[in-house]
Amino acid sequence: MQKFHALIVGTIFAATACTTVLAADSTVTIVLSEELDIVDPCEASRSNVGRVVLQNISETITELNPTEGLKPRLADSWEDKGDGTWQFKLHPGVMFSDGTSLTADDVAHSLARIKSPSISCEIGAKFFGGMELTSKIIDDLTIDITADPAQPILPLLLSTVTIVPAESPMDSFVDKPIGTGPFIFDEYARGQHIKLSANPNYWGEKPAVESATYVFRSDSAVRAAMVAAGEADIAPNIALQDAVDDKMDYSYPNSETVYLRLDHSMEPLNDVRVRQALNHAIDREAFVGTILANGTLLATGMTPPSTIGYNHSLTPYTFDPEKAKALLAEAKADGVAVDTEIMLIGRTNNFGNVLETMEALLAMYQDVGLNMNLKMVEVAEWLEHYSNPFAEDRGPEIVEAQHDNANGDPVFSMFFKYASEGLQTGVRDPALDDMIASATALTGDDRKTKWEDTFKYIHEDLVADVMLFHMVGFSRVNTRLDFAPSIRTNSELQLSQIGFK
Amino acid sequence: MGLVIIVFFLSRLTGDPTSLYLPVDASQESRDQFRVIHGLNDPILVQFGRYMGDLVRLDFGMSIRRAEPAIDSVLRGFKWTLQLAFITMTLVTVMAIVVGSLAAFRVGGVFDRIATFCSLIAASAPDFWIAIVAIVVFSVNLGWVPTSGTGTPWHWILPVSVLFIRPFGLILQVVRGSMITALGSAYVKTARAKGVGDRSIIFVHALRNALLPVITVIGDQAAGLLNGAVIVETIFGFPGVGKVMIDAILQRDFAVVLAAIMVTAFAIFVMNLLIDILYAVLDPRIRY
Repeated sequence: MQKFHALIVGTIFAATACTTVLAADSTVTIVLSEELDIVDPCEASRSNVGRVVLQNISETITELNPTEGLKPRLADSWEDKGDGTWQFKLHPGVMFSDGTSLTADDVAHSLARIKSPSISCEIGAKFFGGMELTSKIIDDLTIDITADPAQPILPLLLSTVTIVPAESPMDSFVDKPIGTGPFIFDEYARGQHIKLSANPNYWGEKPAVESATYVFRSDSAVRAAMVAAGEADIAPNIALQDAVDDKMDYSYPNSETVYLRLDHSMEPLNDVRVRQALNHAIDREAFVGTILANGTLLATGMTPPSTIGYNHSLTPYTFDPEKAKALLAEAKADGVAVDTEIMLIGRTNNFGNVLETMEALLAMYQDVGLNMNLKMVEVAEWLEHYSNPFAEDRGPEIVEAQHDNANGDPVFSMFFKYASEGLQTGVRDPALDDMIASATALTGDDRKTKWEDTFKYIHEDLVADVMLFHMVGFSRVNTRLDFAPSIRTNSELQLSQIGFK
Repeated sequence: MGLVIIVFFLSRLTGDPTSLYLPVDASQESRDQFRVIHGLNDPILVQFGRYMGDLVRLDFGMSIRRAEPAIDSVLRGFKWTLQLAFITMTLVTVMAIVVGSLAAFRVGGVFDRIATFCSLIAASAPDFWIAIVAIVVFSVNLGWVPTSGTGTPWHWILPVSVLFIRPFGLILQVVRGSMITALGSAYVKTARAKGVGDRSIIFVHALRNALLPVITVIGDQAAGLLNGAVIVETIFGFPGVGKVMIDAILQRDFAVVLAAIMVTAFAIFVMNLLIDILYAVLDPRIRY
């Protein structure tokens, strides 16, 4: 019996010893919500790819800092040469992890590669669609980049472009990315982990973290448990119900905005009074702290409040069901078919509690007398409703969507969402087209003012959509780290910004 | 062949994968290029003909999502699933036979009542709930075993334990029922009359005859595990074929879906063959 008892105690002791994290202080483990299928730097705009690759392995020539604005990274300076051309001066002495030097040729190749039709890189499709980029190499460290049509914010756009060596293939993804960043891609054991280690020849400041391991768990509760058990140091993107520890859990604006996209092309949604009624019928504040997390902000525009040109003077529509009913009655008296059935379309798993949110919205709309039904669809079917061209035989539709803009400028959103040619627009308004084009072409304070005017026009005059919420995200961070997640954690996780207490 | 045809056309019915692979803001030009690169522009029958032509050469196609041969993704996952299923079913079989036989020996006794009660609970236990509770109790609170992942033998304890519970409950019930019948047989009474010991009666005389229905249930349970223990694999971050298959279905990665189904179908075919052979070994009256 004593032997049996000793065996049990020994087993428990051994198990405990084996599972206790004995990692050196300079090693971190990050648990992501999905296994990475591709690790190519030109896919770094995808959240979890970005969290591994962006600014860790591959750097950009400019970098957007949420508090300081646009900063140099691989480029020391840039200058507007006119006619859509910008000249960038690269930092001297920068080496790729394969030992070759960074030159203007690498930048030119990286720009060509994100637009390569053979691999359909997400960065190219997402940020440079409908745009031609041409490069002219002036010398090893100077390059002129021309965008057609001209892009006044080209330096900002280039904060999304990861720079790869000129030898990177144009027709296939790489599975061991090479970059100039502070870390080297060591190993990808598919289904298990990715390992990075510090780049001994990094041109910049040496990071405190010496190595990092990324593991993948799709269940939020497990990710949170891993940090609590000391098996992981950071779990970006955990669910609201798992963020229960004040010492480890952080909430922050996650750059996502939830809204209802209205189709202005047919009755009754083509009547501004109906669109106003749709806005007044919703008790937005009732969602916060109940279905949605505390800290969720009520939205008046498509981009997060930290974006340049966000109009902070706008206020959300008040919850006023009587006013909504009066507006609908007024429209009906003028012959608008307000009794037409409207389909409210939600996207399954779009964010936590999306179904509950959509059901509550539906109930509020039905309370003011709208003839509305809810249809929850998965992403592919949802895209058929959300993106132009819309189905010819559709009825009036309201599409729930969540839009991410962590890039600091409305241009990443406004054309797609509101210009007549935009892929997801429900509006065809020439005045708004002019405003977007004008704001896009301006710089500095003029640009900021024009965007503010545009936000106001969309929200108050056009009443284009039903803006709902700026969402918050949750991350769990081991207390041994000196690291606070921010809005950028939604798209990147710079290991060089992590310290140890 | 029938399986390939059904899965090929059913998977295409789920829609065009382009919208899942490219960002929402991707231009129509990018979408068109994507369809051309992956042959999605061709008529469905042309796509099917091309797939069958490749299949003859055991080429399952390329994974769109992973940019590697689909069969590589599947076999990598299948290796883990096979190990998980083998370890789990070995433990389940041994434990269920021993406990079920002992329970059947004294029907209505304390051991039988406890075993029956536990088997009922185990057979209806929701594995996703048990998995999360096990992580919180044994990993977070007690720190005995890792929460999830792979790498050391300790990483196998929770997934195997959670997967063990339901098949154990089911098989134990079948063993118990089958053994009660066998122990009431004339040949057992004869053996007892001859003074054969209890252990020999249970594990030599009765068990062999009671095993045939048990093997059928073991086969069913093992087939379920070979298909991939999706929930357990997902929660514990176990890189098995079930998770590969579910991810591929959600991502419309058709080549991986088809390859996964072909590989698991082949594995189940082999396992059923082995079970049929085992029938013949256990019961000499069975001949094929």
